[in-house]
Amino acid sequence: MGNTSIRVRLTIWYGCGLALIMILFASALYLVMSRALEDQIDRSLEDAAMAAARSLEEHRFGPFLLLDDLAQAFPELALLDKFFQIFGPQGQITLQSANISTRNIPLSESAMQAALKGEATYESVRFHGEVSIRLLSYPIKHGETLVNILRVGTSLRPVEEMLNRLVFVLLIGSPLAVIVSMLGGWFLAGRALRPVHTITLAAQRIAAGDLTQRIHTTSADEIGRLASTFNDMIARLEASIRQIRQFSADASHELRTPLTITKGETELALRKERTPEVYREVLESNLEEIDRMSRIVDELLFLSRADLGEIKIAKEPVQLDQLVQEIQHQALVLGKDREVETVLGTLEPTEVAGDEWRLRELFLNIVDNAIKYSQEKGTVEISLEHANGMAKISVQDNGIGISPDEQKLVFDRFFRSDTARAHAQKGTGLGLAICKWIAETHQGQIQVESTPGQGSRFTIFLPLHSQA
Amino acid sequence: MRILIVEDEPKVASFIRRALEEESYAVDVCPDGVEGRDLACEVNYDLIILDLMLPNLPGLGVLKGIRAEKVKTPVLILTARSEVDQRVKGLDAGADDYLTKPFAIEELLARSRALMRRASGETSGILQIDDLILNPITHEVTRAGQRIDLTSKEYALLEYMMRSSGRVLTRPMISEHVWDLDFDTFTNVIDVYISYLRNKIDKGHERNLIHTVRGSGYTLKAADG
Repeated sequence: MGNTSIRVRLTIWYGCGLALIMILFASALYLVMSRALEDQIDRSLEDAAMAAARSLEEHRFGPFLLLDDLAQAFPELALLDKFFQIFGPQGQITLQSANISTRNIPLSESAMQAALKGEATYESVRFHGEVSIRLLSYPIKHGETLVNILRVGTSLRPVEEMLNRLVFVLLIGSPLAVIVSMLGGWFLAGRALRPVHTITLAAQRIAAGDLTQRIHTTSADEIGRLASTFNDMIARLEASIRQIRQFSADASHELRTPLTITKGETELALRKERTPEVYREVLESNLEEIDRMSRIVDELLFLSRADLGEIKIAKEPVQLDQLVQEIQHQALVLGKDREVETVLGTLEPTEVAGDEWRLRELFLNIVDNAIKYSQEKGTVEISLEHANGMAKISVQDNGIGISPDEQKLVFDRFFRSDTARAHAQKGTGLGLAICKWIAETHQGQIQVESTPGQGSRFTIFLPLHSQA
Repeated sequence: MRILIVEDEPKVASFIRRALEEESYAVDVCPDGVEGRDLACEVNYDLIILDLMLPNLPGLGVLKGIRAEKVKTPVLILTARSEVDQRVKGLDAGADDYLTKPFAIEELLARSRALMRRASGETSGILQIDDLILNPITHEVTRAGQRIDLTSKEYALLEYMMRSSGRVLTRPMISEHVWDLDFDTFTNVIDVYISYLRNKIDKGHERNLIHTVRGSGYTLKAADG
């Protein structure tokens, strides 16, 4: 059965079940019917016997019982489907009705014995080659003495014919009903399973690599829900694969630039003999590019591990005001070359729950960016306040700024604004994406406001420790 | 031969410029899309090397812009993306060839030579006027089988004159194709270089190849036979 289709299996199960029910139903029907018919015959025999007995009593048990009188007294006896026999107390026939067949039907031994005890006996008798006969032997007593034995009989032919017809109808009808319902089941199963077939075809096309495929469904039934769940899944898969493709395209593009430079500069230097100064310059420049590549690779690795959930973030109390002060000291060193000064604004004592090392990375990245894109001799201001139950860290610079269109994109991986691209100091394009990830894994947020030419303000919100 | 590089990554632009200058081409560099487009429309370059990722105006925009201005200069696009789509779009927008970063410097130079050769209507790489032969690949110049040593600028001037042989070349035309944007047009540098070339090429030969056209400029052509 493992390889047969659900449709075949459903139909077979359905057919077997129905056949079993039909067999049980037919047997029960046959038994009930034959029992009811027999009871009915027995009752009518009894009625006739009682009537005949009363008639006999009226005639004083004489041997002169007139069937005509009996027929007159009991009109139902006119339906001459019954015959009567009256036996003497020794079992000899004294009288019998005219409609009895020529055959002699003697009183059986068991009936005689029962009659002597005063009990009635029902018997079925079948003569070879003829129909069965149902017999009732009824004792008629006067006081304690057995006077007569009255016997009423009737043919079982109508009953047998009726039962035969019933068997015939059941034998033809049941298999027919099973076949018809199996065909119906086959059709219904096919109909019910058609959407499954559609889903299978779509899944096959998707498996072949075409993720734009969707299952068309309008129904809201089980299959419809399966199809729409399936569609949602494929849509998410398509989106994440597109994201991965975009990411690897961006990554390879980002790595191509330093590769182009190292390859080009090296090849150019090797075209002919150069002075040691030229070689030194090429090597220094190549070293710079190699550093850039390893930074890109490190950050890519970080982000892909972050995506996979492999980076553990500690949840320890972090004294933010202390951390911000340390960052400011580092920023003073970073800004020395370009004479960018980093100052502290408001500094409220604040504690958050998180990973001190990652938070340091986050702030340092933002402050480093602020210094990098500041005007020479500019100022960067860091402040720490509480706002709406969150710690709010702002980093304000007076640098080149970011245009409104680009503000939406700065946290995207590999995005670099045109101004940043033209800027002498090249980043990897991944720093702010990492900052965003760190802020968000701390249930925080990172935002940017900026006016091109005037400067940018990066704001980071982190939940306070008491609330965490 | 004068070449424009439109590339925003300074180090990439710098090594391409140095490589081309070693081949005696005059080279201008522009790091911005819009400026690059304007420059390409203003100056009659012999080749434009165009990066596709540029600030302010992407490379494809630059390409469409200069083709709309009927500038027929051959364009070699540089792309960091290896997707076929990008290259197809570039070629369809009017580029003549492309190179994917990172590329080999020799390939860049060979493709540049091929594009300029096709633009000047030649089929073989070797230029020959009478018994003067110039090989742009090896930079070897011979007259009647005799090797002639030229400085870089002299070579650039001779290559340009040989590629436009028979045509009268005015001083502005020569300065535009042989010198870069830093060239001061108010000096007599061109006349000086022409006289250097005459010394090396025509001196001691019966037939002169470099001729002065009074009031206009110079021309290089085979002696009237």
